[in-house]
Amino acid sequence: MISLLNRKLWRDLRRMKGQAIAVSLVMACGLAMMIMARSLIHSLKSTQLEYYESNRFADIFVQVRRTPNSMTTRVAQIPGVAVVQASVSVQITLDVPGLDEPASGLMRSLPDQGMPELNRLFLREGRWLGPGARGEVLVGEAFANANRLKPGDSIAILLNGRRLNFRIAGIVLSPEFVFESRPGSALPDNRSYGIFWMPYSELAAAFDMDGAFNFLALTISPGAVERSVTAALDRLLAPHGGRSSFGRSDHPSHVRVTDEIRVLQILSIGFPLVFLSVAAFMTNAVLSRLVALQREQIAILKAFGFSNSEIASHYMKFALVIVVGGTLFGGVGGVFLGRQLVGMYHMFFRFPELAFRFDYSALVLAIFVSTGAAILGVFSAIRRAANLPPAEAMRPEPPANYRPAFVERTGIGHLLSHSFRIAIRNLERKPMQAFFTVSGLALATGILIVPNCFRDGVEHVLGFQWDVVQRQDMSIGLIEPDSLKASYALRQLPGAISVEPFRNTMVRIHFGHTHRQLGIQGLPANGRHSRVIDSNSHQVSLPAEGLIVSSKLADVLGARVGDALVVEVLEGKRPIRTIPLVGLSEDFAGIAAYMDMQAVNRLLGEGDVISGASFSVNNARRSEFLTALKTLPRIGWVVVKESLRANFKQTTAASINLLQTLYLILATIVAFGVVYNNARISLAERARELATLRVIGFSRREVGAVLVTELVILSLIAVPLGMLIGTGFATFILQAVNTETVRLPLVLTASNYAFAALTVTIASTLSALVVLRLLNHLNLVGALKAPE
Amino acid sequence: MTRDALEIRLPRSTQTLFRARGLTKVYGMGETEVRALAGVDLDLAEGELVVLLGPSGSGKTTLLNNLGGLDVPTSGELSYRGMDLTSADEAQLTRYRRDSVGFIFQFYNLIPSLTALENVALITEIARDPMPAEQALEMMHLGGRLDHFPAQLSGGEQQRVAIARAIAKRPEVLLCDEPTGALDIRTGIVVLEAIERANRELGTLTVLITHNAAMADMADRVLYFSDGRVHREHRNASRAPANSLNW
Ligand SMILES: Nc1ncnc2c1ncn2[C@@H]1O[C@H](COP(=O)(O)OP(=O)(O)OP(=O)(O)O)[C@@H](O)[C@H]1O
Ligand SMILES: [Mg+2]
Repeated sequence: MISLLNRKLWRDLRRMKGQAIAVSLVMACGLAMMIMARSLIHSLKSTQLEYYESNRFADIFVQVRRTPNSMTTRVAQIPGVAVVQASVSVQITLDVPGLDEPASGLMRSLPDQGMPELNRLFLREGRWLGPGARGEVLVGEAFANANRLKPGDSIAILLNGRRLNFRIAGIVLSPEFVFESRPGSALPDNRSYGIFWMPYSELAAAFDMDGAFNFLALTISPGAVERSVTAALDRLLAPHGGRSSFGRSDHPSHVRVTDEIRVLQILSIGFPLVFLSVAAFMTNAVLSRLVALQREQIAILKAFGFSNSEIASHYMKFALVIVVGGTLFGGVGGVFLGRQLVGMYHMFFRFPELAFRFDYSALVLAIFVSTGAAILGVFSAIRRAANLPPAEAMRPEPPANYRPAFVERTGIGHLLSHSFRIAIRNLERKPMQAFFTVSGLALATGILIVPNCFRDGVEHVLGFQWDVVQRQDMSIGLIEPDSLKASYALRQLPGAISVEPFRNTMVRIHFGHTHRQLGIQGLPANGRHSRVIDSNSHQVSLPAEGLIVSSKLADVLGARVGDALVVEVLEGKRPIRTIPLVGLSEDFAGIAAYMDMQAVNRLLGEGDVISGASFSVNNARRSEFLTALKTLPRIGWVVVKESLRANFKQTTAASINLLQTLYLILATIVAFGVVYNNARISLAERARELATLRVIGFSRREVGAVLVTELVILSLIAVPLGMLIGTGFATFILQAVNTETVRLPLVLTASNYAFAALTVTIASTLSALVVLRLLNHLNLVGALKAPE
Repeated sequence: MTRDALEIRLPRSTQTLFRARGLTKVYGMGETEVRALAGVDLDLAEGELVVLLGPSGSGKTTLLNNLGGLDVPTSGELSYRGMDLTSADEAQLTRYRRDSVGFIFQFYNLIPSLTALENVALITEIARDPMPAEQALEMMHLGGRLDHFPAQLSGGEQQRVAIARAIAKRPEVLLCDEPTGALDIRTGIVVLEAIERANRELGTLTVLITHNAAMADMADRVLYFSDGRVHREHRNASRAPANSLNW
């Protein structure tokens, strides 16, 4: 008898396969997102951990001035320090074939013999530096790829003002530069910024660092407290400018990966939850319908002596088949999406191997969650089935009770057409079904808003950053601060229209118990290049005294305008001063602090010096300018706005497109599935009514209108609601990812909303058309027989 | 196929509406083939009230569905006012049903979400030459029930709404398939009176399927159906009023 019940189960499933599949797919969307996100978290976390371990990523880092190598022994004696590694780390500019502007980057030294103890490199291509070889470098992969550099190629590097040609020995990766980007830059700019390695002896010789180092990396022994080690380290290295040691939690590359994992964690909880609740309802709708249809069958089964629990478990199996289907689809989909996204991460994060790693615990969780959703979904329907007294169930279901809909009771009823009336009365009679269809469609609309909101936000930031804040065409930084006279030389560069000098200095700003390390930008008070902009998009004139910081920094420090900040300069004579916070600026990447350039120079007490300058350049003479720039000694870095812009667009556009496609697929499936399910149920429940309409002379089109009117009403409610929900999602996510390194403003455009509305409308329309085609097979004669 | 040598006598009225010759309907194929209609020859004239009697499964409903344009015959001829129903397309059949045919079913088939008045108005809005919906309901003595939903009406009342819906378009043909099948005798008679009245007052050709031989008395003509054919035909000298019937 049980096997007969199972046969019935299969027949029911086959009959309702369209709906079962629709529910499974919506469920699959939620599970896929969850599996994808959790697997990505797992992939990133475990890859990161393994990479850090196998390549011995350091725990603490510090940049100092020239310090004799003997100091390392003293550092090693600090309690808690395990391994110390000293190296030379300098800013360089270089000339890359095929790149107009000089690229800049960071050059690190490697031991002349053997592997470094810490922050070991991973050789991707080519070979290691030969022992004793000169004129060879290793290049970080991101830069090499972006510039199509291969082992054996040669590049010209300006080392301490001397232009030398180097051969690329190998392409490498480093745990220190998983996210390979210019310090302080939120997005990678791999074309014009790279990381390089060369032998210690050669680099030290070029920079007059023989027997000395200027960068330390160290690990701490298990159980040691990072804070006490950094404190001791800072004390020890203070005379050498080393008051700025930091741990992994301030390490730019590490922070970026960690932030990304945090965003994924939010995604892995929020979205699946919403999808699964819609799926749960759809299961409920399908099953309620099935139970209603099978009143007599249930009664007969009971009359035969089946127990309530047997009947309940029979219908539960129906739901579980859907769950199994959903989990299967979701698992496959999650793996597929995860693989795609891993590819995207590869663009930002450089690991020796960032393979997609399936998070099995996510699968287990998925099964739990979807089973839970299904049980929740079918609970009421099953209870109804189980509670049906046999005699009651033998009777056909009493005719449905209707009443004039709310809209009609307002007195405009006579204005409505019959199909409209049928539609709204049906909706009012089944408010829950209507509610969930609306939720499903609204959700689909909502999730489409999110990626476009990102895109518009990024566009806004880029526009703000490069059209409002930084109006120069390029900026250069000097290796060492130079006298103001240097800027007269810069003015002579061919094609330079205007030049504005700046004086930047590394500081640590303290307020209360918090502090942040950053560069103060000393700018001309009313500069026309790098401008300080307030929240009303007005330029702030830098006062002769006092500090202006980005609102994010003020937030992080907990400081308000009027508070006194302690500024500890990390170079030169290292003065420590109290400076009032006099204003806030608006920006979207990193944290920033601004002062009048002269005020900075007064603070440093080194006279009128500049650390670099910004240029606006005559476009016709741009290449002339850049060529001249490549020959200038003493240039530490160059930033060309246009190429930054192009690179940013490429990387962010690619990743946003991927996200957009992903969300588009999910939204389409949900919209399609929800409408399909709703229309199928309406069609099944009202087959008799619709057939009757056909019999008494309504055309297919007119009967279709009755069915479609309902969907149109629901969509008209759902789409605007979805726009609201999407705005909420976007606001929430942007707030959640609002970090010190990256933050996006909430930019909502009409085209974003229009796109979402249009997509959902098209998906629903297609789905409705599929169901309407079934109207052609409506059995007119059958509908006139006794009610089912 | 042997064709019964059945003399087709023309009814009193002048015009023939339906003309069927060798009408055959086969369901299924091969082993499971069912010959629901096995060569029906039949003429139905304007204004007639015809009762169709016959054992279950003899093909009565199938014939009615074919007459009403719900189903197309497998072979044979079937025309309505010269229009060939066997080759009519979907749109033509819809138009035919909309303008010319009124259906009444055993299970009423009202739209549950519309009131009595709206169920009738649904048709009067699309028909070619309808009477006001209120008038149709008035004819069925339902003037006081206009705003009731089907769930608020008794079976007999629901069936009378269905008749009002069928006659409101002033159809030329009224096809009734066991209209009293689900009703008790008193309610059944009320419904029959309504059908009789529509036939008399509107001059509608009425075909009425029933299992109840007593109803034969109210007909102009009685057709006895068996094995998919008209086996016997009987013409009443006079029609007995519906309220005189008893069963
Ligand atoms: N859709 C169908 N598919 C297959 N066979 C059918 C179908 N509809 C009717 N039949 C068969 O055709 C024959 C005639 O059926 P029909 O419904 O016309 O009989 P009926 O005279 O109306 O019977 P009843 O008095 O029981 O209503 C029956 O044998 C029936 O089984
Ligand atoms: Mg029948």
